[in-house]
Amino acid sequence: MSTFAEFLINGVSLGSIYALIALGFVVIFRATEVVNFAHASLLLAGGYVTAVLHDNLGFWFALLAGVAGAALVGAAVEFLVMRRHRGGDHSVLAIVTIGVDILLATELTRRIGTDILALGDPWGDGVVTFGPVTVAQTRIAALLAAALLITAFLLAFRYTSWGVAMRAAAENQETAALMGIRLGRVSLGAWAVAGALAAVAALFLTVFPTPGLERGTALAALKAFPAAILGGLDSTTGALVGGLLVGVTESLATGYQSDLAFLGRGIGDLAPYLVMVVVLLIRPAGLLGTKELARV
Amino acid sequence: MNLGRPAVRGLTAALTALIALTAASGCSSKAKTDDGKRTGAGGVRTGEGVTDTTITVGALTDMTGVYATLGKSVTQAQQLYVKQVNASGGICGRQLELAVRDHGYDPQKALAAYTELEPKVAGYAQFIGSPFVAAVKPRVDTMDRAVILPQAWSASLLGSPSIRTIGATYDVETINAVDFLVTEKGLKAGDRLGHVYFEGDYGENALKGAKFAAGKAGLTVVEQKIKPTDNDMSAQVAALKQAGVKAVVISAGPRQAASLVGVAAATGLRVPVVGNNSAFAPQLLGTQAGPALRSMYWFASPSLPIGADTPAARKLAADYRAAHPKEGLDNGVVAGWTAASVFGEALKKACAAKDLTRDGIGKALLTLKDHDAGFGIEHDFTDPKAPSSRESVIIQPDPAVPGGMRAVRQPFVSEAARAYTP
Amino acid sequence: MSDRLRNLPAKVYAGAAAVLVLLALPFYLDRFWLQAGLFAMAAALGAVGINLLTGATGQLSMGHAFFLAVGAYGYCALAGDGADGLAGLGLPGWLAAVLAVALAGVAGGLFSPIAGRLHGAYLGIATLALIFIGQHVLFNAHDLTGGYNGRAVPPLSLFGLTFDDTELLVAQIPFGAVEKLWYLGLALLLGGVLFARGVLRGRPGRAMNAIRDHRIAAGVLGIPVARHRAAVFVLSSMYAGLAGVLLALVFQRTVPEYFGMALSLEYLAMIVIGGLGSVAGAVAGGVFVSLLPQLLNRYSDALPLVSAPGTGGIAPGEAARYLYGAAVVAVVLFLPGGLVRLAARKSTEPSGEAR
Repeated sequence: MSTFAEFLINGVSLGSIYALIALGFVVIFRATEVVNFAHASLLLAGGYVTAVLHDNLGFWFALLAGVAGAALVGAAVEFLVMRRHRGGDHSVLAIVTIGVDILLATELTRRIGTDILALGDPWGDGVVTFGPVTVAQTRIAALLAAALLITAFLLAFRYTSWGVAMRAAAENQETAALMGIRLGRVSLGAWAVAGALAAVAALFLTVFPTPGLERGTALAALKAFPAAILGGLDSTTGALVGGLLVGVTESLATGYQSDLAFLGRGIGDLAPYLVMVVVLLIRPAGLLGTKELARV
Repeated sequence: MNLGRPAVRGLTAALTALIALTAASGCSSKAKTDDGKRTGAGGVRTGEGVTDTTITVGALTDMTGVYATLGKSVTQAQQLYVKQVNASGGICGRQLELAVRDHGYDPQKALAAYTELEPKVAGYAQFIGSPFVAAVKPRVDTMDRAVILPQAWSASLLGSPSIRTIGATYDVETINAVDFLVTEKGLKAGDRLGHVYFEGDYGENALKGAKFAAGKAGLTVVEQKIKPTDNDMSAQVAALKQAGVKAVVISAGPRQAASLVGVAAATGLRVPVVGNNSAFAPQLLGTQAGPALRSMYWFASPSLPIGADTPAARKLAADYRAAHPKEGLDNGVVAGWTAASVFGEALKKACAAKDLTRDGIGKALLTLKDHDAGFGIEHDFTDPKAPSSRESVIIQPDPAVPGGMRAVRQPFVSEAARAYTP
Repeated sequence: MSDRLRNLPAKVYAGAAAVLVLLALPFYLDRFWLQAGLFAMAAALGAVGINLLTGATGQLSMGHAFFLAVGAYGYCALAGDGADGLAGLGLPGWLAAVLAVALAGVAGGLFSPIAGRLHGAYLGIATLALIFIGQHVLFNAHDLTGGYNGRAVPPLSLFGLTFDDTELLVAQIPFGAVEKLWYLGLALLLGGVLFARGVLRGRPGRAMNAIRDHRIAAGVLGIPVARHRAAVFVLSSMYAGLAGVLLALVFQRTVPEYFGMALSLEYLAMIVIGGLGSVAGAVAGGVFVSLLPQLLNRYSDALPLVSAPGTGGIAPGEAARYLYGAAVVAVVLFLPGGLVRLAARKSTEPSGEAR
């Protein structure tokens, strides 16, 4: 039982990190209807800035710089690339983000090279013990940070004028523009927010239990794709639900892989996608996504 | 295309010329005229990649893909070897030349690079990526017949007269590692042994060895299979802890080893962990897991570490430092150097037999019986079906030694490894 | 129309010249170039397939690599004789190839409950699942796939001609596997291109474009949207399967790592660079993306800014990725329509070659 609890807590904390990534993904989709395949690179950029600066600035300022850096990269992508092709086919725009991702990822992996970069976080390899259950401090921190950020974000989405503008843009771009909402600003903001959230996720993906930031870190961001789809690409609460679902599924499938050996070992990475396919078969728009009414 | 009259006439002319050319394809450089073998300077028969002044050796490496860490060290060590051999006069009166191609662990690029270099080189002193080696194996065995020294220690590559792995394969190495746990770390019959391994032939080859060794020592193996993209071993540690393992073998990459040992130490699973030679990199000592790695982690290696106290190791470490002051000293340096020296030795023997053709080099390698590159292991290449050595060294991470590695058990072959047939 | 007729002879001559040059190449080029050309042909075939789906119908697929794998492994399993201890039915090579392509189509059809209902981004990410499932199966189903090291590809035999490395002397030129496969590749590519053109120019093509441009309007017009989407998905999978068979024959071994996400992304890059929705564009993009890294690698010592491996600086592999990443972005921003549009714009007179 205690092992199950440990798997569960690990899964929830991992899931909250995925939720952060998926949230950024959903924000961009809502504001611009574009699927951002460059999200993994935003994450890597944020982590890289933090890793490079923590020696000089200290951890907290480096983290701030990383968040700002990733937000800046996101905004730059929107301003320099996405904006130049607005109104186009959204599939084409999604493929453009693949091009952007190839560029950013190549540059960042070239810089990181073969190193494993530490991020200089204050938690180290400390653990917290609740009775028989042991959890890494970093995981608790991840859970708290994600909960805080997601709550703040959901509130902002509901009550600030930026949030209202974004919701309006998501509802109907044309009407929103006619109502005086500046779509350019909304989408710029969305990209920046997505970058910032990805940078925070990068921190928690590279601290203890994992050895540090390296070229493969961005691959973890791929788990956020099923998370976002599971919950519904246009639902912010969906991103949270999807993230948690993916994290817990992965953790349990890995932990109990001996009992699942008939499926082939190493099923943990696959499990989120299997769950996603099943959900899509039942609900094509995801668990909490808006159902398309225009059905013919 | 809306072409005018003159263009049409031009095209017709071009076509006529083309047909004539095809008919005259005997003039093409591809036409089969001779077998490419000549007798060159010094009365030595030569083949592909060998002229009167140079011997070109291929290196198919990965410097931008998943094995970038290994590929970089191996390549730089081999470049160093070539430089030093050339400075002392070369081999057979010829200068060595290393033709390096980086395939970034992409099968298409790897195959393209192999095909491109094939007519230009005498053999390959490096080939990273065992699936790609397996892909060219039929061609190598039947047509190309060039000696290939792959940087992969999987038993699946054994058996080809041209493709020769250097040092103990992963299964043999894992058997030796388990022996170390039993003889020195108090693992005894009836205990459970955790094995965390990569999917793929590295991990699965090691698993074969672990199961064999466990059968001999009366242990039960608890398997945990992972993917190279998994960097967080919390779930694996929790599962192993629940299974009550008394020791763990890890056949994965350096990052997974660091995470596993770090998490195990932090969550109170204080058991010895032993890895294969690919499961450590000196960079790890700077991570959070550094202290834990120093106290409860060992790994088996097919040769002494770069920081060993032998003349060859000291010289290589110093020379490599001088050539690449910013790069870390790791096992890849030793592996690359050893492979290059094996190739060089085969060339020297082939030269003595006055036959620098590919067949000549292959035959020369088959007579290489007790080659020691200076890292404590004698390699015997006379049997293509067996690894060139069954010896392993047990190494402990130690930041005080150059390269961060110290040998705690000198080269040995365990009883079980001797009895094992791949 | 009369203009077109008058131009016909010139076009025929130009086409014939191109075909002849292609036919003569194996007599002159060495193995590296022919192999690179074959990779390019396989890429072009696959790109034509995904262009039908993404370019012409507007359905984003990230799972193309999976169907290539089905084709490649399907061929091995059907044609293999089981001598290497792996599952094999021992069918004749040509039949195995045909069935492997059909198998890829069936795999696409099995996915159609999802492919028919989802569109755009949703389908893109849902098809990602195929990649991960595919990789899992390729690595784990040892008896079928050979696991990590893949399995050997049995050579294809057609009309008594075996496409392997046994030498065949043609006009004093030794013909090995690549020389023979070159002609097979050309024939397959030509067939694939003509068929795709036929589809695009006929009724199905118009229906597909209507779905892409306005799904609801297409439905109102009486086009069965879901059925068309599923059908195009199957067709595109079969193209991928064919490309997979050709690739397997060139590689002579299937390597599971190859059929990963990076490959799917490459195919998307190809059709964007070449020109969405156009068959000629898909071919151009496929050739561009698959030749670029090989050329850069080969000529790394001669190029400025690119450095030979092991000397620091930008490696050829990285340079290739920069170039084609930038090409994707630049084409979409500055050259909507891709390389084919560029070719059309370059020729001073109006041209019929745009499609």
